[in-house]
Amino acid sequence: MSMFEGLKFRKISSPIHSLDPRVKFFYVIAMFAAAVMYMEIIPLIALFLIQIPLIIAAKVTRQWIKSMRGATYLAAIIFFTNLLFSYFYPTGESFSYIVEHATAMTLRFVVLVESFSVFFLTTSPDHLGLALENSHVPYEFCFAFTTAVRFVPVLAEEAQTIMDAQKARGLELEKGNFLKRVKNYIPILIPLIVNAIRRSLELAEAMESRAWGATKNRTNLYELKLHRGDYVLTALTVLLIVLAVYVRLYIPIPAVSEILG
Amino acid sequence: MEKQIFKTDRKMPIIEADNLTYTYPGAEKPSIREVSLKIEKGEFVLLTGPSGCGKTTLCRCFNGLIPHFYEGKLRGEIRVAGMNVAEHAIYELAKHVGLVFQNPENQLFALSVEKDVAFGLENLGVPREEIRKRVDWALKVTDIYELRERPPYELSGGQQQRVAIAAVLAMQPEVIVLDEPTSFLDPLGAKKIFEDIYRLNRKLGITIVLVEHRLDLTAKYANRIIIMDEGKIVLDGEPRKILVSEEVHLMGIGIPKVIRLYQFLKQRGKDLGEPPLSSEEIAKKLRERLGR
Repeated sequence: MSMFEGLKFRKISSPIHSLDPRVKFFYVIAMFAAAVMYMEIIPLIALFLIQIPLIIAAKVTRQWIKSMRGATYLAAIIFFTNLLFSYFYPTGESFSYIVEHATAMTLRFVVLVESFSVFFLTTSPDHLGLALENSHVPYEFCFAFTTAVRFVPVLAEEAQTIMDAQKARGLELEKGNFLKRVKNYIPILIPLIVNAIRRSLELAEAMESRAWGATKNRTNLYELKLHRGDYVLTALTVLLIVLAVYVRLYIPIPAVSEILG
Repeated sequence: MEKQIFKTDRKMPIIEADNLTYTYPGAEKPSIREVSLKIEKGEFVLLTGPSGCGKTTLCRCFNGLIPHFYEGKLRGEIRVAGMNVAEHAIYELAKHVGLVFQNPENQLFALSVEKDVAFGLENLGVPREEIRKRVDWALKVTDIYELRERPPYELSGGQQQRVAIAAVLAMQPEVIVLDEPTSFLDPLGAKKIFEDIYRLNRKLGITIVLVEHRLDLTAKYANRIIIMDEGKIVLDGEPRKILVSEEVHLMGIGIPKVIRLYQFLKQRGKDLGEPPLSSEEIAKKLRERLGR
């Protein structure tokens, strides 16, 4: 779960936090594309390193490290599967090259996680909802999204209360084999779901009472405006893509194992 | 600017129900029966009665949740701000009647306080600058301006309920109906909410309908008490008259302690004159009596 912990947004103000979520999303896509373009280790290391100033500027280094640590399991799986594959299907390459290739594949994944975590750590759900609205996603979906985010802590707290209440009545959650343990959670889930349904009815009532659906041309308290920082990031991202494509097409990239020996 | 909007005109009834009977879908018996009442602009009405007497149902009629949201069978007629509730959509009525519910948690949807307060205005398509102006005003009136960027789930129950009040206030309704707004709050938080509500009534002339069991805390603010039982209005009038009447004592309503003390003294031949509604009032009367 620690990987998701690392993706949880915390409200702080930094130049990266105030960037337009659409621009940041464009950056994530660009990173994604650039990482997929390369199988060599040197450009992937470069992609990894150029994101670090962003993380430092956003003051989210600690959470970012947490999310990277959460990703180590998956990264290890990727690394060893790659090794295994080259072992079972030998291509006649040297061992050091095989290790390098596996490392590059892992690094590619790490770069993806890195850019995603920059996005989620620095974009408030409110902003994200607003970006969705401005991208012509129907308001109902945006509302469902922000409301879901808003009720996560409420439901988590409620689940804890129900768990305590059922434990006080003698329910033992940790007992028995796997199947039994799953069954143990039924007395938690049923009240949780029933409460959630009841809650949703009350919510609907409150929404209706506050003029939900009065007009198709809804206004919004906040407005997304592109500032100087957004243009800078957009320009840098475009530059990155152009550079990545150019290098891919015209410059041969040596492997580290070749350079060394 | 606000004063003009909420100008009090006491002569005109803002809520007018005539022979209202309503049955929920699937229910056998009606929840409210033959309810007729008139509430004038600027009144502070306390609506009380035993649980299940139909108070909440009546509140839902005030802004059109009944019959539009709950369906069921509605007979009789109810007019709010001159509009027949059955013929107008809930969002039209929402501009005139604000409803505040019991559980503060389930009436806030946004990720920040100010966004929540803006919700109704956004739905109505009010221009952004106007929303900003009204949201700031509502936040200041309810004294939560400094909380405007906090997420609602981080706030205390009392603060959340204040946000809910600010949210209906921002829509500048003539009437605010509050359905047991303090039952999730501690006594001190409740007292603050009541004081806020009273201020809205006094300063802005907003008509208040407050559903509440705790008459001890609220009787002094109201200029009218309506008591319901089994879906009917059984008593309706000035607090000082209603609370000392014989019927009210037979109904299991929580009579304020000051009234009980007043009556205890009266039975023993010490008439304090007009019935008091707050401890300050009775203390003053007693001091006068004792010559201190």
